[in-house]
Amino acid sequence: MAQAVEAPAALDGADLRRIAADHARIRRWRRRRNELARHCVLALVTFILVAPFYYVVLASLKNGTEIFSYPPKLLPIPPYFGNYEKLLWDTGFLRWMFNTLFVAGAVTTLKIFLDSMAGYALAKIDFTGKRAVFLLMLILLMVPIGALIVPLWSLVSGLGLTNTYLALILPPLANPLGAILMRQFILGLPRDLENAARLDGLGEFAIYWRIVLPLIKPGLVVLAVIIFTDQFMSFIWPLIATTSDDLQLLTVGVAALRAHGGANYGLWSASAVMSLVPVGIFFFVLQRQFLARSLAGALKQ
Amino acid sequence: MNTTATQRAPAIELLEVGKSYGKTAVLSGINLAIAPGEFIALLGPSGCGKSTLLKLIAGLEELSDGEIYVGGRLANYLKPSDRDVAMVFQNYALYPHMTVRENLGFPLKMSGVAREEVRAKVESAAALLQLGEQLERYPDELSGGQRQRVALGRAIVRQPLAFLMDEPLSNLDALLRVEMRTELVRLHKRVGRTTIYVTHDQVEAMTMANRIVLLHKGLIQQVGTPAEVYAAPANMFVATFVGSPPMNLIAGRIESSGGQRLFRGPFDLALDGLAPAALGDGPATLGIRPEQVALVGAGEPQALPASVELVERVGPDSFVLAHLADGAALNIRVDAATPIREGDHVFVRLPPARLRLFDAAGMAVARERA
Repeated sequence: MAQAVEAPAALDGADLRRIAADHARIRRWRRRRNELARHCVLALVTFILVAPFYYVVLASLKNGTEIFSYPPKLLPIPPYFGNYEKLLWDTGFLRWMFNTLFVAGAVTTLKIFLDSMAGYALAKIDFTGKRAVFLLMLILLMVPIGALIVPLWSLVSGLGLTNTYLALILPPLANPLGAILMRQFILGLPRDLENAARLDGLGEFAIYWRIVLPLIKPGLVVLAVIIFTDQFMSFIWPLIATTSDDLQLLTVGVAALRAHGGANYGLWSASAVMSLVPVGIFFFVLQRQFLARSLAGALKQ
Repeated sequence: MNTTATQRAPAIELLEVGKSYGKTAVLSGINLAIAPGEFIALLGPSGCGKSTLLKLIAGLEELSDGEIYVGGRLANYLKPSDRDVAMVFQNYALYPHMTVRENLGFPLKMSGVAREEVRAKVESAAALLQLGEQLERYPDELSGGQRQRVALGRAIVRQPLAFLMDEPLSNLDALLRVEMRTELVRLHKRVGRTTIYVTHDQVEAMTMANRIVLLHKGLIQQVGTPAEVYAAPANMFVATFVGSPPMNLIAGRIESSGGQRLFRGPFDLALDGLAPAALGDGPATLGIRPEQVALVGAGEPQALPASVELVERVGPDSFVLAHLADGAALNIRVDAATPIREGDHVFVRLPPARLRLFDAAGMAVARERA
């Protein structure tokens, strides 16, 4: 501004208080405005994410005619539990759920153990052909599952494993992603830690078990979440590897519901909701721990 | 040279030790006997092989050549944990998932010491290092100095034959480093174990060690007490590496004329007694410590004119960078009270008794009269 600014006259206490109050008011107003804008955006995103899920939950609690009534009822009052009763008692749902939890649990447990050991070897032990092995694993990552199905099936059936739990558990163990991930985690541990352990008299396995494993816990949790959800949702291989109803997994069973018995949207919705429950619990429990630990690790350095 | 240390059987002895990675030799021809209770500093610039040498002694790296004896036993094929040495690492290498108590007790627990005994030893080490309050804390809840103490404590509880320390103070801030330096020396006096201390910091080496082993390019350059290494460097590398500012080196030639031997460089100097007759004519280098260069009046004999380029005041002393007539640089260390300013023209004298002569290969030449 071109106007000459007059030097402010001496201010007394009342003036200073008034100025401070003005600034406080402005700050408060700006803060509120920003917060409101932020919340509007968040609300929109939340709506987009939650609406379809809510619609499915809603449908699962309505009977066949209510589902198609117009305008749709936005609250399921009174709730209709017929879909859930039918799902749990008239279909193989509980069996599929057990199978899925058993297979996914077994794969996750075994794989975490194998992958962390493989990762330790790749990160910390010098052996002939280490580079070749690692390269091979990287290449394997690029092979799509579709290309593996046929040879895998002939391998599994050649071993006489079709229609066994082993057919569902063994093949996913060969996925190299986990070992590569663990290698990266373990490479990040200082070499001196291992040296200290060696001087303390630890052998190779003891170093892995007592020093490395506790320190890569965040990595293990990440890996567990990835493997478990991946197993929980895998469809193609379980579909091909098993024909027996007793070994059916959730994904396959729920898909079969759709193929047989006509269009029952309520039942389908109920199966979708129920399928999500264990993954939800698993995520919720592990993710909290994972978040806390990864943050602690980040601040340490 | 140093005879006090080598009379008893050495605690650690290295014979023709060498280490190479593929074709690159990192260390070669290392011979060293370390007496029980001695504090040895392995000093050298980064990449000189000092840490590798320490790891060879600890058994964390495999020898390519030679033999290592620890406590009189051939250690070449012993596991690190069987060598009766404890190591303190540069970045402490504390187990982050264990409390201080667990960290201190872990080596004992692993070697099967009874729980009660572990407890007693841990508490006494903690008391020695003033860690009593911190026993139940995790490493990431400790300050740098406390972590350093835990790392030391972990070595102490094992009561090993020797401590191997790999730049243990380099991660601490300057003030704490000086404090811990004193503490380490005190600890060494109290515990009295053989200590091998790797450092690139000459001040640490000079102040703490009984003897300094200077390493450069994988070879031992000199072994001696701090005073010996400072006053009588074995070669030009030692002369410039030890001391700050480093020893002045003045390049020139040795020439004989009319029965007299002269050093010809920026100035001419009669070499009476400084060089043995065996040393022929040829390139040579004169060395003198900055504090031994004397500022003199114009009229004095052997006074050389010099111009002052820079004066650095560092408290009690001033470091003066001056140039001789032909441009050769000369570092001079004078008392801070000396009235000297940049741009001044002064006269300096290099006392012949203080001069060191290095031959064409850079090796120190012994004076003719001892």
